[in-house]
Order: sequence, then structure tokens, then C-alpha cells
Amino acid sequence: MVKLSKLTLLHVWLRLLLLQGSWNFERLQGGGWFYAMAPVLRVLYGEKEMQRIAREHVGYFNTHPYLAPTVVGAVIRMELERAAGKELEIGVPEFKEMVASPYAAVGDALFWGGLRPLAAGIALLLAAKGLAVAPVVFLLLFNALPLWFRIAGFLSAYELGIQSVEFLQRRKLPDLAIRAKEATVVLFGGVAAFMVFQLLDGKQKPLWLGLLAVPAVLLCGYLARRGISTLMLVLLSSGLILICSLFSADVAVWLP
Amino acid sequence: MISAELAIGAGVALVCGLDRIAALQIMVSRPIVAAPLVAWLLGDVAVGLEIGLMVELLWLARLPVGAAIPPDDTQVSIAGTVLAISLGNHLGQSGLEFQLLCLLIAIPFGKFGQFFDRFARQYNGRKVAQCDRLLEAGHFYAMEQAHRMGLCCFALAALGTYFVIICGGLVMIPILAPILQPSLSESAEWLRLALPLVGIAVILGTINVSRALTLFGASFGMAFLLMWLV
Repeated sequence: MVKLSKLTLLHVWLRLLLLQGSWNFERLQGGGWFYAMAPVLRVLYGEKEMQRIAREHVGYFNTHPYLAPTVVGAVIRMELERAAGKELEIGVPEFKEMVASPYAAVGDALFWGGLRPLAAGIALLLAAKGLAVAPVVFLLLFNALPLWFRIAGFLSAYELGIQSVEFLQRRKLPDLAIRAKEATVVLFGGVAAFMVFQLLDGKQKPLWLGLLAVPAVLLCGYLARRGISTLMLVLLSSGLILICSLFSADVAVWLP
Repeated sequence: MISAELAIGAGVALVCGLDRIAALQIMVSRPIVAAPLVAWLLGDVAVGLEIGLMVELLWLARLPVGAAIPPDDTQVSIAGTVLAISLGNHLGQSGLEFQLLCLLIAIPFGKFGQFFDRFARQYNGRKVAQCDRLLEAGHFYAMEQAHRMGLCCFALAALGTYFVIICGGLVMIPILAPILQPSLSESAEWLRLALPLVGIAVILGTINVSRALTLFGASFGMAFLLMWLV
């Protein structure tokens, strides 16, 4: 079997960083998939053969960008086996179709729904204290896990081929996503409490007023769940605060 | 020089706009990073931190999944920061009230980001048939070039959104500043609190966690009481 050089693998991995460069509604990441696979196809096949094989690599594809290297690594292994004349257990398009959606669902829940709000919550606490390291902390906290999946997922999938599905199964990512989301909710409780306390303390207002923040947040959350857009909530809450401030200024004039 | 500052902002808008969807996705496009980054380049990190803090959570619950396009909080935070610093210097305005005014003007214009983004994706979609023809002709390098051109579409979409927000701000802020400044000075700190709380509320309303309200309420209550009593 042909062995790909480390340089070719690095080339593919770097191209995966541009996976969504030509994202479109027809084939989603399909163009990026071919772009990433092209260096491998070029090494394995002659021009005529590459044209035939490439048809399997230009179609619809969509998964989470951080888990895409795991799919690509496995497909490279499959291409190596096919180029060596081995019969594949499952076709390349079928394999892509089989894993793309589950990987997307797991990746969205873990990285977008769990890890990103968690890292943002910690960074916000630092930013609320006026610490300029907040963005750096966010980048370090958020990127450690995705970078690991991008590298380790790619390399282990390249070694394991279609067995690489077990690589992700072993990590129990859906459980991890739920834990991250729960931690996020708890963290946001602390962030909200800190910001409310900071304001009331600074303005020398009665601190019990801070407890009113909970029903206010719950009301906004309810409205969001009922389909009111974030923009509308921002405009409503800002407008309400501006009107209240105008009203309070007028009242203050008549007070002794 | 306001034009030089706008150009620096455009550079950051371009890089962060690409990070948002098309390239890398290391999250320099998040407001908590992008706003302090552009503010640091313009010489006032504190403004960027404030704006990043207020915008970060607003659309965090809108996941960039499949064909869903969230409002462009990246360009809102970058353009809001550029306006707060450069227009503030030009008009002799500063402080939280002016930052909030810039931000509240920039936020609705973030909707334009969705239009530009959708246009970029549709334009890339038109290249699909061309790529099929290139494949049949065996022009693989041209197919790769077409993919790279997609990056340019996203870059232009990011710049388009940035300039729409900047132009909107440059027109509206000098008019609205004298009108809204008095009430903003009264309410600035309340608004600074309200925006992140709205973001948290939206996340709580949409996050798929059982007993989310109990966890949030318990965590809020415990943290608040601890700070109150200690």
C-alpha cells in the first residue's frame, strides 16, 4: 500500500482549516472537502483516474468543522486501500453520508452549545473586572479541545480508517456536551449575580433589589423561547431603561 | 485621523469575518476577542472590553448550524468599538454613555450581516455548476481556485457589513448623541448590565438542559448571597 508523506498529510490538515471557504446552500462544505482531499488524490491517482474518483469527492458534505478532520482522515485511509486494489467494505460517499450528520450533531452540541458559552462566561467574569487578559483566556479555554480533536481525530482516523468511529464513541461526547451545558448554566448564574452585585454596590442601592434580576431574566428567557428575537429584546429592554431614566430624572426635580 | 482608524477596523473586520465561517474558526471572531483586539490597535483596550462584554452573549445562543445564519455580532462589536473610539475622539465624546450609544446604533445594523452572508453563500452556490464543468474537463487546480475565491466572497461580505454599520453610525450618532446623551448618562450602567442579562436569558431560554432554571436560580442566589454577606 502507498504510504503518504507527512508533508502531504500536513497539507491536507492545513487545507481543512479552510473547509468552509466556499460554503454554499447547494453542497454546503462539498467544495472544501474536495479542496482538502485534492493533494491526496493527486498522489494516489493519475489524471484520468483522478477524474473518476474525484466525482465521489465533490458532492454534498456537511459536518462540524472541528470533527471534519476525523472524517477526512478515515477517507484518506479508504482511498489508500482502494488505490492498493483492496475491496472497500463501504463506499466513500456512503461513509461520508453515514458519519457526517451524527458528527455534526455531536460537535454542535459540544463545541457551539457547551464549550463556547462556558469559555465566554469565564472570560466575561474577567472582562467585568476590567482584566485585559479576558480575550486571551477565552481563546485558550475554547481552543484547547477543538485543536486536540482537529489533530488527534485526523491522525487516529488516518490510522484506523472506518474504525475511527470508535475513536469518537470512546470519548462519550454527548455526555460531555450535557456536562458542559450544565456547567454553563451554573456559571451564568454566578456571572449574572456578580454583575448585578457590582452595579448595586457601586451605586449604593439596596442590595435586595438584585434578587429582582432573576424574574427579569426568566421573563426574557420565556419571551425568547416564545420566539421573540434577541434584537427585539435588546430594543425593548434598552427602551424601557431609557424611559425609566427619563422618568426618574423628572421625579427627582420635584423631590426635596 | 478617522480614515486611518476606519481602515484599521476594516483590516480586523476582514480577518475576524473570515474566522467566523470560512477560515480557521479559532473564534477570534467572538465579540469578547474581536472588540478588544481592534480597540488595542486603536489604543484603548478598555473600550473594546466593555463593548465585547455587552455584545458577547447576545447571539451566542444562535448556533451557526447548517444553513442557519445568525446576526453578525462580530462586525457589530468591531464597528461599534471603532465608532466609539474614533468618532468619540473626533466629536470629543467618551465614556460608557457614548460607547452604549455607538453600540445601540450598531446592533440593529448587524441584521445586514445576514443579508451579506446569505449573498456570499448564494454566490458560492452559483459556482457549483462551474466546478462540475471544470471537473469534467479535468481542471482540478481551477476547482481549487474556485474554492479559494469563495473566501473572497466571505471577506467581501464581512467588509460590506462593517462599512454599512460604520456608515450608519457616522450618519446617525452625531444627530442622536445630543438628544440621547442626557438619558444615557442616567441609565448607562443599567444598560451595561441589561445587555449581558438579555444574552443570558436568551441562552437559558434556548439551551437544552433539564432543570436549567433551577441550576441558574440556585447558582445566582448562592453567589449573590455570598457577595452580600461576606
